[in-house]
Amino acid sequence: MAISERPLSAQDGQRLDYQAKLTGRAAYLADMKMAGVCEGAILRSPVAHAWIRYVDASEALKVPGVVAVYTKDDVVQGTGIEPYYGPVFKDQTIVAVDKVRHVGDPVAAVAAETREAAEEAANLIVVEYEDLPPVMDVRDSVKEDATLVHETVRIPEHGFADLAELKPIENTNVCTHFKLRKGDIEQGFAECAHVFEDTFILPTTQHVALEPHGCIAAFQPDGRVNLWSTTQNPFVVRTQLANIFKMPVSKIRIMVPYLGGGYGSKVYPKIEPLTMALAQKAKRPVRILLSREEVFYTVTKHAAFIRMKTGVRADGSFHAREAEVFLDTGAFAEIGPRVAKKSAYTAAGPYKFKHVKIDAKSVYTNKPPAGAFRGFGVSQSAWASESQTDIIAKALGRDPYELRMQNIYDEGDEFVTGEKLWSIGVKGCLEKVAQEMKWGEPMPAPDDPSKVRGRGLAALIKATITPSISCAAIKLNEDGSVNVFTSTVEMGQGSDTAMAAIVADTLGIPLEQVSVLGVDTDVVPYDLTTSSSRSTFHMGKALELASLDLCEQLRRFVSEEHGVPFEETRMEGGRVLFRENALTIREVLFNHFGMQGGTLVGRGEVKTSTVDPETGDKTTSSFWFVGAGGSEVEIDKDTGRLRVLKHATAVDVGRVITPLGCQQQLVGGAITGLGQALFEQMVWDNGILVNPNLVDYVLPALGDMPDEITPIAVEVPHKNGPFGAKGIGETSLIPVAPSIANAVDDAVGVRINDLPVTAEKIFLGMLDKS
Amino acid sequence: MKHFDYLEPGTVDEACGLLKQYNGNARVFAGGSSLTILLKQGFLQPDALINIKKIDELRRIEESGDDLVIGALVTHHDIETSSLLAERLPVLCELEHDVANIRVRNMATVGGNIASGEPLTDLPCVFITLDATVRIANTSGGRTLPLEDVFLDYYETQLGEDEVLTHVVIPALPARSAIDYVRFSSSSVVDKPCIGVAVRMSVEPDGGACREVRIGLGCVAPTPMRARNAEAALEGQPLNDENLQKAARAAAEECDPMDDLRGSERYKREMVAALVRRLASRVYEQARDHGNS
Amino acid sequence: MKKAITMEVNGASCEVEVEPWRTLLDVVREELDLTGAKLGCDIQVCGACTLLVDGKPVSACSVLAVDADGRKVTTVEGLADGDRLHPLQESFMKFGALQCGYCTSGFLLTAKAMLDENPHPDDEQIKSYMGGSFCRCGCYQEIMQAIRGVAQG
Repeated sequence: MAISERPLSAQDGQRLDYQAKLTGRAAYLADMKMAGVCEGAILRSPVAHAWIRYVDASEALKVPGVVAVYTKDDVVQGTGIEPYYGPVFKDQTIVAVDKVRHVGDPVAAVAAETREAAEEAANLIVVEYEDLPPVMDVRDSVKEDATLVHETVRIPEHGFADLAELKPIENTNVCTHFKLRKGDIEQGFAECAHVFEDTFILPTTQHVALEPHGCIAAFQPDGRVNLWSTTQNPFVVRTQLANIFKMPVSKIRIMVPYLGGGYGSKVYPKIEPLTMALAQKAKRPVRILLSREEVFYTVTKHAAFIRMKTGVRADGSFHAREAEVFLDTGAFAEIGPRVAKKSAYTAAGPYKFKHVKIDAKSVYTNKPPAGAFRGFGVSQSAWASESQTDIIAKALGRDPYELRMQNIYDEGDEFVTGEKLWSIGVKGCLEKVAQEMKWGEPMPAPDDPSKVRGRGLAALIKATITPSISCAAIKLNEDGSVNVFTSTVEMGQGSDTAMAAIVADTLGIPLEQVSVLGVDTDVVPYDLTTSSSRSTFHMGKALELASLDLCEQLRRFVSEEHGVPFEETRMEGGRVLFRENALTIREVLFNHFGMQGGTLVGRGEVKTSTVDPETGDKTTSSFWFVGAGGSEVEIDKDTGRLRVLKHATAVDVGRVITPLGCQQQLVGGAITGLGQALFEQMVWDNGILVNPNLVDYVLPALGDMPDEITPIAVEVPHKNGPFGAKGIGETSLIPVAPSIANAVDDAVGVRINDLPVTAEKIFLGMLDKS
Repeated sequence: MKHFDYLEPGTVDEACGLLKQYNGNARVFAGGSSLTILLKQGFLQPDALINIKKIDELRRIEESGDDLVIGALVTHHDIETSSLLAERLPVLCELEHDVANIRVRNMATVGGNIASGEPLTDLPCVFITLDATVRIANTSGGRTLPLEDVFLDYYETQLGEDEVLTHVVIPALPARSAIDYVRFSSSSVVDKPCIGVAVRMSVEPDGGACREVRIGLGCVAPTPMRARNAEAALEGQPLNDENLQKAARAAAEECDPMDDLRGSERYKREMVAALVRRLASRVYEQARDHGNS
Repeated sequence: MKKAITMEVNGASCEVEVEPWRTLLDVVREELDLTGAKLGCDIQVCGACTLLVDGKPVSACSVLAVDADGRKVTTVEGLADGDRLHPLQESFMKFGALQCGYCTSGFLLTAKAMLDENPHPDDEQIKSYMGGSFCRCGCYQEIMQAIRGVAQG
């Protein structure tokens, strides 16, 4: 089945990155060679929470091949270094200074001629710790007598605009507390015929991009520094490095090769500050490649504990929603405050509640820092909200599909923030999924009498980061071909191809004429980040505008050259048309420059704000992404073992830009969701991570796939998106877990409130019931 | 990795001699799939690796009289694709489809599987229900042991410092018998097993009583184990719901599982019961209707 | 301490001197500059480092290079015939069986070994053979289609 009936004309299904990736020639960070590079190794904390009494590196320095050792002394006494950094609060340091705050917290680093020597030396560094009680669960962490993870938290002068109102609560482990209010919650509950209260839990998980994080830093003789890094947002990392090392951003150049997956794990500084610091001290280029275990200590997805209370009126309309969302941000705030805020916006789901009271807290614990993860807080709140929707339906004897359709947002409905929602095809998504799942029709009985089947649905709404900015430039060459300058990072999502297709279609030239330069902050214009499913919408639009800028310049040349009014020229099929004439781009440029040479530069910029520039309305998100998912499961009654037979996912994509890329993002997101739903969890025992490896941290495999995952693109165009397109990267992941839990309840009458949905929980649930 | 010597003996005797020479500081290297991980992580720091892969006689799967003899260097993929085993003991070929992944099945050997003492594994559980023995070579002539006795504890076996496990010997099955194995994973299909259950039995032609009952359990004790109380509950008895239930409960009680990532103790005991019940009745029917004669 | 080993890599004989503790992955990537195979999990689970040794897939992160002495090694760089892509590469392209590409060389080589062993596998056989390689972007459905495309072609 074609995902779209009307793909862009430049699109032929070919991805620009495939030739290199299929032949093994695509260069990822670890594939790069550099003369004279030292290998870095990191000494990490073996304990979850402790004061550091002293660090003695004298034995490490004696190891042959060691070039430099970096410890807390370098951070504190380093020449001109600002010791504290972090994207929201300045609670991170290059290596731990006073305390270690999680197992795996970097304590020191070594640069040496070989990785072996660096590791050997790192192991010879002596550290004396004075243990503190670790806080490992948000529920313990918010207690009054909990040990503090941070005694004080520094707040940067210029933080993110959307998080400016959020501050840590002093003398507690509460990193931020975001409040969302609408109507009068008490009155709301008083007006309800039914009130439901449940709690929901999600474990810490990890992205497990198959490519671990890596960074190379090389200072130049003139004091500039070149970095190659596995980052999704090089410009944010550049800003952070400039602040730490007190350098102008012009002297920090970050280049990003293809990434072997990101999924949120490679946004914001990771090992870049440490690699750069080590290179500065070693006076040599330094490369750090993380091991798989180290990746688990570097960034995670927020575990959550959610209390949800919902009031429903006699006719089934959703009326009042109260929720308390505790998100475990680990040892550092990282981007946790925004995760919590985004989680709050959608804790009422895609439903028309009149009264809403949401409290979303990001909470410090002694776990590795939690950051962005595909789904960004919404996976957590949707797990609670969509599970509870089915709990309500069951209690009221209502069909879960009908109940959702009764309450779901439509065009122009008022969101929990009071603003109106536009371009909001969630109803269509739910309809399509229900159709695809044959909702309402009886399920065929399994051949095996020990098995039972069930179906479940879930829907969602999610915001993208707002305000934000994307700048882009296109170089039009003398032969009519173009080079695209964009900072959108190709990490597998197919952005290079989508961006090229937008440019090709706007200019009316074949896709083969378009080259997308890699990311290099010295060359490409600023873009905030490749995350939040924002690139097609923001960068794609910036490139559409840049292409239109070129069209306008070409038309102006023709207008001036041939004395035709500008309005009577137009651009079509890669030619400038006027009167009966048609000039190719090459001809226009030749005429203009008077020779075979010269360059035109087209520029585009998209800047979104929290106020709609046209209407003056509040705009929490520059667009909303919405979708729905449905699952059919089969359960072995003797063991609780579950198999997902079918999953359908519908996403309102606005407009399909690249059909293949769209299909891959929808299906791929659903498969990531399957892992989160069924298998994945990081498990701690006394502060120690039990499973930082891929034997014990279980990923979804080929054999776990449903017989079919059906992607459905719903196209409700957005006025500000390129060709009407919206973001698609995260949507399909979110409904998977609740749709499966709802299907389990449908099949065996067991409600599972804590992820993952394991065979054991299903089995014991059945046992306890009988 | 710590530096080590790398030696490639051409005979078993030579290998044992080298092992003795290094006084317990050398390790036998066959497939290497578990050993390289232990070396990389620094858990093992031997002075030498004794690579026995050049010893061709350990590579064969063959019949010796009524016995089946599987060499220590036979890989999992060799078992998976062996036409001899497909004919004599297809249960081994079938279980191998789900063992680890194709790369490990290509590298890892039967000898290594046993000698590592790895508890979360499949083959040994089936081997013990087949009354398999192992041949062990050493510098003083060698010995033969029931496979069950090789395992002492988690990752701990009877094998001495100068010993090389050379062959697994499986006796012929009695008439009218069948065997089957279930590898039960509590999460992804490629996860290590949560439990393994193997059942073998013969069925008497008259009256249908169960004979020669063997029930092997994997992953629910420090070593693969026979569920002897469960076996006794069926031995000489007809197979009915009551006996099945008795055997299932006995197996669930006599195993010794731990709470871990793959399930709680309670759940594992329940699964042992459920799968012994399911498998015993399946094997009984197979033995009665299609058992080898 | 170093040992001279000879391997036939992608059809060409090559001799390298290696310490016995170096892995095949390390030697192929660092000494032979064939970087198509990637380090992913370092414990034989993910499949990103897959190479074919004598035609059989192995996790090169956990094979000692000395153990590959005298053997044939195939890497993803050896799949295409000059500019002509291998049918599996063509099929992966056609069906979109990759996103970030980090797992791709492992999937391609494993699929090649499977088809060399069994040119027309059914779905269950494909899953058993290919099931131990991870694609974290979630292209399993497209990978199945791409392999079926060649197996049935």
